[in-house]
Order: sequence, then structure tokens, then C-alpha cells
Amino acid sequence: MFRLLKVTGESLSPLYKEGDFVVIATLPFFLRRLRQGDIIVFQHSLYGTLIKIVERVLPAEDAVYVIGTSEESLDSRRLGPISQSAIKGKVLWHIAKPNN
Amino acid sequence: MFYQIFEALDRKFSVERAQAHCDIPCGIYDPITAQIAALTVVRMMDLMADAEAKGHDNHAAFINSMARYIAVKEEHAEKAKHEVRVIWGDYIKPEHVEKHPELTELVFKIMKLGSKVRQTVDRQTGLDFVEAINQFAAIFWETKGVAVKRAKAPYAPALEMVYPNL
Repeated sequence: MFRLLKVTGESLSPLYKEGDFVVIATLPFFLRRLRQGDIIVFQHSLYGTLIKIVERVLPAEDAVYVIGTSEESLDSRRLGPISQSAIKGKVLWHIAKPNN
Repeated sequence: MFYQIFEALDRKFSVERAQAHCDIPCGIYDPITAQIAALTVVRMMDLMADAEAKGHDNHAAFINSMARYIAVKEEHAEKAKHEVRVIWGDYIKPEHVEKHPELTELVFKIMKLGSKVRQTVDRQTGLDFVEAINQFAAIFWETKGVAVKRAKAPYAPALEMVYPNL
């Protein structure tokens, strides 16, 4: 229903940084109502569990096109659309790492 | 406060990671590593040719030196290929290839030359390897909007290299 994950990498910086926590909702209720700008966590066969921003929803393909905030982000520009079945959850709560 | 709670949970239960993926820290891509590795390949070819030309009274010492040159040549040819593959796989995007359609063929050429310089001691192949990676570097820097210059490397074999003009 809800899961806690920790962010690694900087492809969503400065929105999400290395060490931040996110709580995601895994219920179909949330995953079937994705919108542009939502942050999602999905599974990729090569790269594992990834977190990206939904740039647009592709209803005809039952998929979403995801991006990062960094030029070097590994996202749909290289991975292609992410199918709905690969989406593990939508971020509901972002707990940023405090600045020391 | 919540962060400290979750951090404690992570320490105890090792929370799953969600990767905001870049294989290496974002932005740290530089073809200079591949360029220097390719230059090293030519340097090893030159050292092998020198050793051969000088002749050798001490056969064991000669074989020892040759073995070391060959090992370094092998290692650096592979390193150059690896570095180009990382940039090709992790940085280059379809829009870059669209703008530089020759890029696909160029990377293929680098891979082939990288194998050929291991198989032979043909200096011209080594020079071709360096130049192909120079061309790759020029395209890479263009995608970054950074101008380049050509200058001789300040060390043997002092071949012309492409450098970012910062």
C-alpha cells in the first residue's frame, strides 16, 4: 500500500537529492491517475528501481514518458516510454535530507 | 525529525533504493581518458619499435620489456574502448545522433580500431585510433556547447589532440 524508499543519484537534483526519502503509494487507485509532473518509481529490467518525473501520459500505449531534471539523466529519452505495468508507485511524501 | 526517524529505519532495515540514475555522478563525462589511453597505445608501439631497432644482447631483459609494453598496450586499448562505450551508452542521446549522424559509424570504427591495435603493432592503425577518438571528443564537446582546439600533446608521442577550449 505504502512503501519507504531512499533516493540515490542526482538526476532529479535539485528537486530530489541523494539521501532523500520518499513514501510511495502502490495502490492502483493512485497509479491509474498519473498526471504530468507526478514523481513515480518504476522497475527497469537493466537498471533496477528508478525514480523519475512523468513528463506526459500516453493513454494509447498504456505508458508514461519520464524525464529527469539533469541533462545526463537516464530516462525515456533513452529508455523509451515506461509501461504502466512497470510502475511500482507514485510519490506521496518527500522527506528531504536536512542541510548540515 | 521525520528524516532522522527514517534514517534510523534505514540503518536498521536497509530501505530499498530508488535510483535517480546516472551511472556516474551527473555531468562527469570527459573523453580525455579515452584520448590519453589511445595515445598510450601509440607510445607502446613506438617503444616496441625502438627496442627492436636497438637490438638486444640480453634476451631475457628484451622479452621482459616487450611483455610489459604489450601488456600496457592491451590494457590501454581496452580502456579507451571502455571509456568511449560509457559516454556512448550513458551520455549520448538520440538527439545527439540526430545532429551528428556520423556518430554511430564513428563509435563502431573506434571499437574496431581498438581491437586492431591490440592485434598488431601497426603505427598507422594506432594513429587512426587516436584520430577517431579525437573526432569523438570533438562531437562530445560540441554537444556540451564547448569549443575545441587542436594541440600537440605535451608528452611523447606528441600527437595532435582535441582539447576543450575553456
